[in-house]
Amino acid sequence: MAKSVTAAPNDLVPHSPKTRGGATRRRHHGAPPGIAWILPGFVVSVGLIYFCIGYNGFLSLLPWDWRPGRNSPMFDSEALEGLGNYAAALQKDLFWTCLKHTLIFFLVAYVVQCLMGIIFAAILHSKVYLGTLWKVIIFIPVVVAPAIMAPVHRRVFAVDGPINWILQHLGLINVDGMGNRNWTGWLSWLLNHIGLSSVTPNWIQPSTSLWVIIAVQIWGSIGMAFILFFAAMGQIEPEILEAARIDGAGNIRVLWSVIVPNLKPTIVSLAILNAITALKLFDQPYLITAGGPAHSSEFLGTYIYGELFQFHSKPQYGGAATLSIMLLVLAVGCSIIMSAGSRGQSPAKQAKKRARLAKKNLEVAA
Amino acid sequence: MFSIRTRTGRLLLTLLVAVMVIPFVVPLITMVQVSLSGIGWGNYKAVISLPSFWTYFRNSAVIAAGTIVIVYFLTMAASFGFSKLRIRSKEVYFWALMAALTMPEVVLLAPLVIMASKVHAGGAIWAVILPIAALQIPFTTLLTRSYVDGIPDELLEAARIDGASTWRQFWHVVIPLAKPMAVAICILVLINAWNSYLLPMVLLGNTEGHMVVTQLPNSFKTRYTDDQTKILAGAVLAALPEIIAYISLQRHFERGMAAGALK
Repeated sequence: MAKSVTAAPNDLVPHSPKTRGGATRRRHHGAPPGIAWILPGFVVSVGLIYFCIGYNGFLSLLPWDWRPGRNSPMFDSEALEGLGNYAAALQKDLFWTCLKHTLIFFLVAYVVQCLMGIIFAAILHSKVYLGTLWKVIIFIPVVVAPAIMAPVHRRVFAVDGPINWILQHLGLINVDGMGNRNWTGWLSWLLNHIGLSSVTPNWIQPSTSLWVIIAVQIWGSIGMAFILFFAAMGQIEPEILEAARIDGAGNIRVLWSVIVPNLKPTIVSLAILNAITALKLFDQPYLITAGGPAHSSEFLGTYIYGELFQFHSKPQYGGAATLSIMLLVLAVGCSIIMSAGSRGQSPAKQAKKRARLAKKNLEVAA
Repeated sequence: MFSIRTRTGRLLLTLLVAVMVIPFVVPLITMVQVSLSGIGWGNYKAVISLPSFWTYFRNSAVIAAGTIVIVYFLTMAASFGFSKLRIRSKEVYFWALMAALTMPEVVLLAPLVIMASKVHAGGAIWAVILPIAALQIPFTTLLTRSYVDGIPDELLEAARIDGASTWRQFWHVVIPLAKPMAVAICILVLINAWNSYLLPMVLLGNTEGHMVVTQLPNSFKTRYTDDQTKILAGAVLAALPEIIAYISLQRHFERGMAAGALK
């Protein structure tokens, strides 16, 4: 009680809504204890997740093909072997293939998503007709589950599917009497000469399956980038744009020199979001190409799943756990490095900034 | 953002967007078109009349509802605790929680499968709800904590002087004031739970009556050996609730998803 009385004069000072952190937190000395309030969430989330990580760590020390017998204990300490699985994983070609796919996927999807997101946001911030209609069309792919859309995309990229139908009507594909599809003469000549002769209009094949997955991801995520950029653009002061225009800057110049620099925080958070999406990718490669053919669209997610349920007749828990730990290290490492590198701040400050950004977004997104 | 002065300019820009959105519409048109080819509406009839058709939706609804309830209450309580109450080395707990922010769900797969078999929880719906909720809570707590930080301490102080217990401060001050954030969280969790595929598939099992809506189109792949028309009719029916929900709650969906993008 005494404490809250001494704190009282403090409370009379007008409290600026912009004050955060320190000033408000220091006053909680007099507040009631709160441990019981955070405990349930903490146990469910941290408890379960950290337990799984710890258990993965334990499993990764067992033989690669270890699996529990009917009566063996969860922590089968007699089978402990050591760090050999990690060395084995690093020597597996498939592991590096997955990493390469993840990197290509991330770079291409991220760049296209940012470019298209900015262009769509800029156009829809201008005076176009039917603005809401375009917005809804662009955002629907973000809402619908990737797993539900997977059979549709398989159909879209099928040999006799809409993509090839469009290419055929653009004169880029010939169909012979047997129904086989091939590039038109000049196009196949071009592809041969730039070393892409393996690319044929049969999309789900080793040389193109990764690009199908990337295209599907871009389809499903431009809407998200668009909404974020749209919100961020809404916050740019009209006076700044006006001033640039009076100085004689054209539309493209304004977009590049005035608008884009203001979008930097969003561009950075999209990089983190995309890196994590690429690392955890599972639904699309599993359902559209099954990681194949011949692992040509395998990702770490499908690799781990494969070690458990697909590649072998029995689950190989040691291997799956080893890969899981490596994936985890990559995911956490990526998000720390990317956010620290781009902002040069401590993780604590970044998280607050991110939360503020998210809140701001929440207020302006519309 | 672009300054367009003439009507022709506006028309041209509109035309440009119309062309640019074509790739977005192609899969949507394809799914409807293919689902109506062959025996037309008969494809839909065949899908709906399956005995287990509604259980896909029921299972997804139960998982989504359960996840939302758990995440909502645990997030609100934790945010209130982190933001307004006295906790020794509070930030340590917070950082332990934040470290789980970017957890890929596939990382939980091997341990969850073994645990589920050890406690005989294979096929139990709570065995799916708990991990999905656990993966959401770090992020929703990060969002909500900063939101609750914005609620002036004076309000809670005033309630306390009037004799309100901590519980009543929570229930009558924090919960009502945090409503806008709660809506965003519920949408975000709803989408994530409804769209989840890997955890339900592995933990609930691939058997009739134990599948969720995201498995609906693909489960027809085995039933109608590659009869695309029925598979895509299933996809349309599975996607429809989400599209309808989005179109009728546009702003909320966009805000919720946008908030969720900034991990």
